[in-house]
Amino acid sequence: MSARKPQSRNETSWRLLPCRVFRAAENMAVDEAVFRLNRREALPPTLRFFGWQPPAVSLGYFQKTSREIDVETCRREGIDIVRRPTGGKAVLHEHEMTYSLVAAIDHPLFSGDILETYRVISACIVEALRRLGLTPEMVSEGRSAAGTPLEAYCFAAPSKYELLVGGRKICGSAQVRGGGSFLQHGSLLIDVDPARAAAVMRVPVAGISGSTTTLREQLGRVIGADELARVLRGAFEDTLGITLAEDGLTAAEDMLKERLLAGKYGTDRWNLEGKNSPDGEGEPS
Amino acid sequence: MAGYQEDLFYSREHTWVRVDGNIATVGVSDYAQEKLGELYSVELPRTDAEVEQDEPFGVIESSKSVAELISPVSGEVIGVNEDIVDDIGVINSDPYGAGWLIMVELRDLDELNNLLDAEEYREYVGEEAAIEE
Repeated sequence: MSARKPQSRNETSWRLLPCRVFRAAENMAVDEAVFRLNRREALPPTLRFFGWQPPAVSLGYFQKTSREIDVETCRREGIDIVRRPTGGKAVLHEHEMTYSLVAAIDHPLFSGDILETYRVISACIVEALRRLGLTPEMVSEGRSAAGTPLEAYCFAAPSKYELLVGGRKICGSAQVRGGGSFLQHGSLLIDVDPARAAAVMRVPVAGISGSTTTLREQLGRVIGADELARVLRGAFEDTLGITLAEDGLTAAEDMLKERLLAGKYGTDRWNLEGKNSPDGEGEPS
Repeated sequence: MAGYQEDLFYSREHTWVRVDGNIATVGVSDYAQEKLGELYSVELPRTDAEVEQDEPFGVIESSKSVAELISPVSGEVIGVNEDIVDDIGVINSDPYGAGWLIMVELRDLDELNNLLDAEEYREYVGEEAAIEE
């Protein structure tokens, strides 16, 4: 762990955490630890690309588990269930590259506005998709229609600044803000098993294939994680005018990650019931 | 029309405080509800919980984001607005009235010196709005 001098807001060197595949609980614990300590420890904006093993479904902060997903199917299929610190709807994480970005709310590139944050980050992913030869569209829309059977399933209808290829959603994102920082993470679909997703989300299969697309479908091949991470990295650097310096978690982030794993993201109490412990940091009671 | 109310204190985290003796009523400002957009859900503390100035006391979700609610005061929660659970939209439509969130028995009235008055908050928001341009 390197000693790091406090970074001024205008520095253009951001931190890129290692690209790894983790269990769902660890992925969320890392994201929240980085989010919580970013301002307190005066750390630079931090980007991470990562995968999920085993597959997992992540719920939005406020979602009611039993209403949104089939817990039995998840257990039977060995699909982890985790509740995100961010909003939005249920997402099945299997064949995808997930990004997470933590920065100060008032960082000049993001200007404090929630929609602008989505737009700026989406622009980076649009650039990555263009470099892969695709023609993505960034669409700004109101919220998805209530009462549709696919309401629970993120990717069913575009909202905010969403990323479409051929009119179907290829990347969905969610945010949480607080303590002067924001965390935005999102899933770029490499491939999807519509039947599996449908069973987990308890929605019709046709709904999933009709509303989402994947890199495999668009490129005609399954893109490797290394190649995709490289393309994404370059797209973020060039679009934002920054350089990404590879580095790991600080000792404080690592400690908080472990506490969050043990007391929050590793527990049914949080993941299934949405109950946080009183101090808000998931300390074991 | 919401905007600003002159008789309130405000925080840099976009909450407002109405003080009556040593009891504070807390909500989110009109600026906050406008920036967040359509509100979906809110998580508030229970009565008897302790809140601390500048520390999270709840969570709110809008169409755009989940956001932590940061308490502008310290003390014991003596009331929670149960009506908004069934009608979150009232926070959007009436943030200073029916959209109140919690009532707190203040531990230390001096803490109010850390807050902004309407004029100072108006300037502060003006600065934020300028950054957004």
